[in-house]
Amino acid sequence: MPHTVNAVGVGVALLALAASPAAQERARRSDDQPDVQGSWRPIIAGTHSLDPAKSGAADFAERIGGPVSNNPSRIVDPPDGHIPYQPWAAALRKNLEANYENPTRPEHLDTQTRCFVSGSPRLYYFPTFRILQPPGQVIFVFEEYHAFRVVPLDGRPHIGADIKLWMGDGRGRWEGNTLVIETTNLKAKARLDVVGDFFTDNARIVERFIFVDAKTLTYEATITDEKVFTRPWTLRVAHRRMPDEEFWEWACTEGERDAAHSSSRITP
Amino acid sequence: MRVRSGGFLLLVAALALVHAFADAQTRPIPRTPDGKPDLSGIWQAFGTANDNLLSHSASTDGPAGFGVVEGDEIPYRPEALARKQENFANRATRDTEAHCYLPGVPRITYMPFPFQIVQMPDVTTILYEYVHAIRYIYTNGTPHPRGPIEWWMGDSRGRWEGDTLVVDVVHFTPNTWFDRTGNYHSEALHVVERYTPMGADHIRYEATIEDPKVFTRPWTIRMLLYRRTEPNFQLLDFDCYAFEWEKYYPYPGL
Repeated sequence: MPHTVNAVGVGVALLALAASPAAQERARRSDDQPDVQGSWRPIIAGTHSLDPAKSGAADFAERIGGPVSNNPSRIVDPPDGHIPYQPWAAALRKNLEANYENPTRPEHLDTQTRCFVSGSPRLYYFPTFRILQPPGQVIFVFEEYHAFRVVPLDGRPHIGADIKLWMGDGRGRWEGNTLVIETTNLKAKARLDVVGDFFTDNARIVERFIFVDAKTLTYEATITDEKVFTRPWTLRVAHRRMPDEEFWEWACTEGERDAAHSSSRITP
Repeated sequence: MRVRSGGFLLLVAALALVHAFADAQTRPIPRTPDGKPDLSGIWQAFGTANDNLLSHSASTDGPAGFGVVEGDEIPYRPEALARKQENFANRATRDTEAHCYLPGVPRITYMPFPFQIVQMPDVTTILYEYVHAIRYIYTNGTPHPRGPIEWWMGDSRGRWEGDTLVVDVVHFTPNTWFDRTGNYHSEALHVVERYTPMGADHIRYEATIEDPKVFTRPWTIRMLLYRRTEPNFQLLDFDCYAFEWEKYYPYPGL
């Protein structure tokens, strides 16, 4: 009997080695999670436009006659790098892109301007975040918008389907050094970028946090929403570890002026 | 045989019940490897402190409630008391809770929402369901950053005194109130919180409030924090500042 247990143990260890050879020496938490606590940040951060991948600064330069300067697409599936919208959804998004600079309707304003909490995946291609790993949980805290997300690892069921949350309801598990989170119960009121990319509260997200080595994280999110897209699609964002600096207060709605000023031109 | 095994099952069930009850009553304070109390978990204050810190009758503003202030009196300076009364008259619009702003300390503790304490050796993080407020209580010996700084939730630095987590909080805005009746403070507010576990599922919470611009002496509030022990309990959200605009997103009608 002890031989059987050992054989299984060795098998699991070999699988883990094969899955992630660079991380075999990774320290572990008291509950045996790989220890990935600390601060992380996207190498190319920006939330202006996903398709094409473009920063706000590059977009402005282009509008005043500068060269087109796009980043590599974050969308890795479909292979063409475009979000697979159904035609009606593509039309909504195109209309928003034409109006976000001179908003005349409340919905023309980006949700971040209104201090909405973005949730997944937008919060993983914009700010620095910190991972905390108390036993049985992974917690993400963000300085921007003082957003946070608590992900239980104990296999508990999702909350009732009628509860919709800004950060959704995530359930996590470790596969070697990859944290897999399945998220449902999404409120889906926050957009994916300034130019109007979106999904609805019908969406489900599967995220894979692939901890490649002590300083490198590959983030992947696969979004499924039959209401809006023709097929599931996946984006990928490279992150690097950051020094652990204190997070200071980032009040938003308390000092919000942008939406208020824009509103003078807006008729609900 | 059948009777005997039935009796045995009953006995097991009875023992389990007694055990569960005894467990709730006497379960020891959870501790971290270095022996300090582990405050981690989801907690909530119950009562009416957010309505009114002082003893009050039932009214259209809400249910009756016991006061939480030591001596049931807040020692306003005479000129400051007038401002408190003016606040009360304008409470529907002037209380920053009506705008869903970050409510400051200690008010965030007794907002009627649960919060989750995540205790680590160098920093204790508190995540609040109400407007997803976060506090970082540094317990690594670092001092407050040099002011003047005006933060809605202040700057928190903690230390352990025996089994009590003592948190020193400064650098506040003058905008938040202590309750819905207009009890208020200035930017000179200095709060010292004390979190003392009373067994596994209760924390005695005390906050001493000092603000020489508004009060003639420091004063103290006291209440219990209760662990939310329901199975699979978790924080939800209450982003009330967004309610007005949600209907326009992600697009109207969706």
